[in-house]
Amino acid sequence: MKGAERIEIDRRYCKGCMLCQYVCQFDVYEQGQERSALDYLMPRPARIENCRVCGLCESHCPDMCLTVVAQMNRKEKR
Amino acid sequence: MNPLGEKYLRKDFLPFLFCPGCGDGMIVQSFLQAVEDLGCRENLAMTAGIGCSAWIAVYIHADVLKVLHGRAIPAAIGLKATQPSRTVVTFTGDGDCLAIGGNHLLHAARRNIDMTVVVVNNQLYAMTGGQVAPSTKVGSKTQTTPYGNVEKPLDGCKVAAAAGATLVSRWSTAHPRQLIRAFKNALTHKGFAFVEVMSQCPVQTGRYLLGSGSPQFNFQWLKDNCVAVKDTSQRDEVEAQGKIPLGDFLQVEKPEFMEEVRRMNERVKEAKAKGGER
Amino acid sequence: MGNEACAEAALLAGCRFFAGYPITPATEILEVMSRRLPLVDGLCLQMEDEIAAVVAMVGASWGGAKSMTATSGPGFCLMQEGIGLAVAVEAPCVIVNVQRGGPASGQSTSTAQGDFYQARYGSNGDYSIIVLCPSTAQEMFDHTVKAFNLSERFRVPVIILSDEVVGHIREKVCIPDADQLAFAPRKAPTVPPEEFVPFKPDADGVPFMPAFNTGYRIPVISQAKSLSGNRGNAREADENIRRIVAKIEDHLDEFADVQVYGDPKAETAFVTFGSVCRAARSAVDMGREQGLALRSVEVKTVWPFPDTLVRKALAGAKRIVVMEMNLGMLQREVERVIRQPKIKIELFSKIGGIYPQPQEFLRFLEEKR
Ligand SMILES: Cc1ncc(C[n+]2csc(CCOP(=O)(O)OP(=O)(O)O)c2C)c(N)n1
Ligand code: SF4
Ligand code: SF4
Repeated sequence: MKGAERIEIDRRYCKGCMLCQYVCQFDVYEQGQERSALDYLMPRPARIENCRVCGLCESHCPDMCLTVVAQMNRKEKR
Repeated sequence: MNPLGEKYLRKDFLPFLFCPGCGDGMIVQSFLQAVEDLGCRENLAMTAGIGCSAWIAVYIHADVLKVLHGRAIPAAIGLKATQPSRTVVTFTGDGDCLAIGGNHLLHAARRNIDMTVVVVNNQLYAMTGGQVAPSTKVGSKTQTTPYGNVEKPLDGCKVAAAAGATLVSRWSTAHPRQLIRAFKNALTHKGFAFVEVMSQCPVQTGRYLLGSGSPQFNFQWLKDNCVAVKDTSQRDEVEAQGKIPLGDFLQVEKPEFMEEVRRMNERVKEAKAKGGER
Repeated sequence: MGNEACAEAALLAGCRFFAGYPITPATEILEVMSRRLPLVDGLCLQMEDEIAAVVAMVGASWGGAKSMTATSGPGFCLMQEGIGLAVAVEAPCVIVNVQRGGPASGQSTSTAQGDFYQARYGSNGDYSIIVLCPSTAQEMFDHTVKAFNLSERFRVPVIILSDEVVGHIREKVCIPDADQLAFAPRKAPTVPPEEFVPFKPDADGVPFMPAFNTGYRIPVISQAKSLSGNRGNAREADENIRRIVAKIEDHLDEFADVQVYGDPKAETAFVTFGSVCRAARSAVDMGREQGLALRSVEVKTVWPFPDTLVRKALAGAKRIVVMEMNLGMLQREVERVIRQPKIKIELFSKIGGIYPQPQEFLRFLEEKR
């Protein structure tokens, strides 16, 4: 099954609303200790290995600052 | 910044002025997904009124005219009239569209002018700090109904349909897939399209009406209180339960205003060329 | 008819969008436009109210068309917020106010000049605006052409402050061929979209204006803004507001118009604007026949008030009488401009809707001496 290569959270715009954690069905996120440029505590994709790249968190992020980058399998690799 | 944002947002205007967890940013994203899918950015001409939700338009890197409280629809008519090929979209709040701008809504719908009105319904006036709106439920305590609201709310979708809108949908920020589809329908519909979006406002609606300012709580409230329906009988049922029906309520073809104007102009010019003025 | 002359001029000046709402004594302008605009591929809309009319006009202006609206007293009140909008988003457009009696519904079929200050200060906040006052049907025509040109030149709403007498008067109007008139083009951007800064002014304080859907993806908000068009901070808001005022006031010389009728050296001077100029001219003529030297100073561009020109036109006058159909609005401006302890600025004021007779002016000079 395809997983996430990485999840990027844009420090510049994150407001720490934690809706990503709320919508994720696979318990990928937890509240982190790092603060964003806007001084909010940011989420941390602590269990990224659980991610199914469903895109829910990305499409629900009110500040459009989440990017879920899928792992590329061999065939797709350029 | 996700790829959609990279492509479509006005970077130098960020971050969004919306509070943490506000639904308005989610509407930006759903709308942009519709624009991306349709590839209609260059044709897009947006207008907006005043209120938190009006800022949705400003962050989108396309032509936007943000006018006065309640007056986004007439501004859109001016833009449509001067170039009918434009895809004209108006972003308003529930107060903006149904209170101060209510008259403009009625008459634009009546004309069936080809445009899309997006109404962001957060059930009160958010930008000014949580006062009662025409969409606020009876009994709600807001900053200006400290003893509970005694006024019956207005259903924007029903008003628009009664006035002559030819496309009417209501979805919520908790239903992004359906919302994107509704936006796409509206943007490609030839006529007056009205799309209401139930949206969470944790800071005002959440705190004053629903009892919690947490974004998660408010998001869940939408999931629990908005019910997708297939037909009107279901709609009444859902309303009777005190919940909010969602759905694509109406889509019909009717003569469109600018088309009719174009036809009239042709006819008049032809008659004039032949001699008589009428 | 003055109102018809106004509509003719608008069509000739290239106006292709008109939005209005019927109101006496301005309705004829809407009627003529609804008949004529379709013939030139324009659009005339009767909106649901004057607020919608003025805002639709602003939308059409950003849409790329020369646009216009016309109204009177109560409708002019409703338009005030929209006029401020046009100022803030720097949308060229023309607003005709054919004045009638006020306040509120006042006297719909009677003439008045009570909107003198409203035309200048009717919207909220600091701003500057251009207001032209015709006194003949010919001037309804000429001022309308001028109004379109000034609005494009400075990206500002221009108000034609007419009144019932001028709007409804029937007299000969000479309509020149279009090629005999000069039309100011809209100042289009000179750089491609990537380099374009939306509200960065040119040397004259006026920014360049791309129409919507020409690739510039411009953000136009009604708030005080930064050069990029975003909400400005305190410094940016300050600069923005000062600029939209200065772009008009610094160029007053280009368009200010004050005329003198009669003997320019006469010791007794009338000061007038709008339709009252007509009666004043007759009074000057009648005075001359009686051996009485008179001059009438006619303020054609009332806002920004042409201090220097008015001072010049009144040089040497020993007795100054302001003639107007309100309780002393122009008088107040003249008092501000002419500060000579020996000269009292007198007021002949007629309200209630009856146009003054020249004989009344002469009698006033006699009686109040
Ligand atoms: C003419 C006028 N009246 C009042 C206001 C103040 N005002 C600003 S936003 C707003 C209400 C906005 O509520 P809504 O339209 O529901 O949008 P929201 O902020 O909830 O998204 C009001 C009353 C104004 N800007 N202009
Ligand atoms: S993409 Fe889906 S599974 Fe992965 S973190 Fe986001 S919500 Fe969770
Ligand atoms: S007040 Fe409410 S609607 Fe406005 S930005 Fe904040 S959360 Fe959003």
